[in-house]
Amino acid sequence: MSRVSVPCHVKGTVALQVGDVRTSHGRPGVLVIDVTFPSVAPFELQEITFKNYYTAFLSIRVRQHTSMHTPAKWVTCLRDHCLMPNPHSEEGAQDYVSLFKHQSPSMTFPKWLSHPVPCEQPVPLLEGLPDPSRVSSEVQQMWALTEMIRASHTSARIGRFDVDGCYDLNLLSYT
Amino acid sequence: MSQEESDISLIIAQIVQKLKGSNLYAQLERQAWASLQRPEIKLESLKEDIKEFFKISGWEKKLQNAVYSELSVFPLPSHPAAPPEHLKEPLVYMRKAQGSWEKRILKSLNSMCTELSIPLARKRPVGEQKELLNKWNEMGTDEPDLSLFRPVYAPKDFLEVLINLRNPNYENGDSLSFRTHLGLIQVPLKVKDIPELKECFIELGLNTGQLGIDDSTQVPPELFENEHVRIGQKVLAEQDSAAAQQYVRQGSPTALRAELWALILNISSQPEDILYYEQLKTNVIQHDLLVDSLIYKDVKLTASNDDYYFVFEDYLYQVLLCFSRDTSVLSHFAYNSASPPKSYIRGKLGLEEYAVFYPPNGVIPFHGFSMYVAPLCFLYHEPSKLYQIFREMYVRFFFRLHSISSHPSGIVSLCLLFETLLQTYLPQLFYHLREIGAQPLRISFKWMVRAFSGYLATDQLLLLWDRILGYNSLEILAVLAAAVFAFRAVNLMEVTSLAAAEAVLADLSTLKVMPLLQIFLFATVT
Repeated sequence: MSRVSVPCHVKGTVALQVGDVRTSHGRPGVLVIDVTFPSVAPFELQEITFKNYYTAFLSIRVRQHTSMHTPAKWVTCLRDHCLMPNPHSEEGAQDYVSLFKHQSPSMTFPKWLSHPVPCEQPVPLLEGLPDPSRVSSEVQQMWALTEMIRASHTSARIGRFDVDGCYDLNLLSYT
Repeated sequence: MSQEESDISLIIAQIVQKLKGSNLYAQLERQAWASLQRPEIKLESLKEDIKEFFKISGWEKKLQNAVYSELSVFPLPSHPAAPPEHLKEPLVYMRKAQGSWEKRILKSLNSMCTELSIPLARKRPVGEQKELLNKWNEMGTDEPDLSLFRPVYAPKDFLEVLINLRNPNYENGDSLSFRTHLGLIQVPLKVKDIPELKECFIELGLNTGQLGIDDSTQVPPELFENEHVRIGQKVLAEQDSAAAQQYVRQGSPTALRAELWALILNISSQPEDILYYEQLKTNVIQHDLLVDSLIYKDVKLTASNDDYYFVFEDYLYQVLLCFSRDTSVLSHFAYNSASPPKSYIRGKLGLEEYAVFYPPNGVIPFHGFSMYVAPLCFLYHEPSKLYQIFREMYVRFFFRLHSISSHPSGIVSLCLLFETLLQTYLPQLFYHLREIGAQPLRISFKWMVRAFSGYLATDQLLLLWDRILGYNSLEILAVLAAAVFAFRAVNLMEVTSLAAAEAVLADLSTLKVMPLLQIFLFATVT
């Protein structure tokens, strides 16, 4: 089953604040980001990927339509997922994060996305080790990737630092 | 596949990829082919029989050691969307700071080049090559005129850069308040406190035997030392890297240290390694680099003046000059926040096919760099082995002491750890020193940057470096620095100037590191 990224529109952040924005001095601790999927047919969401920038906790809510007659409902998929174990220090502050479907605790998946495929039984593992055929396919993938990189690399001969025997240099380059 | 399972298979795939290019892989293949001759290898159960053979003959252990080595050195594979810079250093502002610092170093080197009209690199004429080859073993007798050369930077220049590091997202306020850090480091990295350090360094506890404490002359050797030596010999016989690493947490017996460190660093002198070193030596003979003069100057200024290390002067040249030519060091830049300086062949500026790294290993030495090598000379006398050990120590540990990163063993974290420990557990001392204009980090920085080399007595230094290897972390340097301040606290409380404070802490050569560490971590009333 191949995965494709779904085009989405990420709106600007809106601060949730009690009181008048102009007069209160405190910085709001909660910001909301709206993500919409304009003109996309129903799909099964597997993974959300983003780069963090000093967000400590994340909650995700989706709005689902159950039928034409009942109004749309907001459902919480993820609540207070911790991205920074210590918000006053740098741990996790600028990490790349992926959230997967199976991390959402209540798994009645919103219907407007699609009818999700029922969970497959996991392949029984030997002593907690990953399935060898999966590993070998990963190795194949990595090998292919390395070959690609190597092919596009204009690298010097292994172990040699000169170019065709010449190491007569100008000055050091700043770029 | 669950997330953890796919993480593990990605790690396995990466390690397999790395090892496929290694000598070990070729050896295992040869051994597997050769084993087909053996009677116990049957065609029906070929895979199982070869695996069994590897287990019995010790080759499985070698493979285990290689895997363990990879796991210790390389960071875990990061998120697939993360670019390579993220692996070097995840925080953008730190990457930028490292980039600016590097630019300053390059400018400094370039201006030295133009002022002295000396090329960055030149091919030696044949006569000069012969001469150098002849005096390879006594390069120390050379007295070249190095007066015009100056070190590219000294630790105190680097400290100024670290002091000015700021996280643009961190609200600190302009005025001094309870929110601003009292120390010099102003970035909010996570550092361990004493309870966490006690958990981490649990083998240094009061109830565990230590070399450096329980092998002193007053303690009968039957109580700890004899048994510890016996276990050490067993670990060496088993040739198990992970066991060796665990073992040296309690210190390594002098007689076993060289072998134990080699086992932990997964260094075995194969003929290929000796050949590789000889190739590097040839590169030194053929090309003269500007950094060579920097190395000469550094050795003459530091190690040659040191009572313990001056005898090793020639070894230091033999290691450091070859180190500069070693392109295999370039691979560590994948996880080092620093990047190797780039240059172009004369007349080919901007043409990528003529782009090279300078020096070939990408590392520009600074004032004191040779002190990373000097203590190792006590352990290893064969130049290629000494070289391999130093190179591995550098790409595992020492590079973190002079690059700007958020890594827990990076110099920034060590500085913050030192300051935080001092502020939390010796607040009066910290406040007093700050009031008299003697910020403690200004004194302890140089100790940590050099991993205490040249400041402690050699036997004590080696006991300290045992723990660096044992815990695969440099945090012990910050803890020791704080412990030294704690030890001399009474004298320090009486001084009234930075110079006087420095005088109190000028001579560390009589200190015994293990009792200091143990008392600071486990026996101080907090």
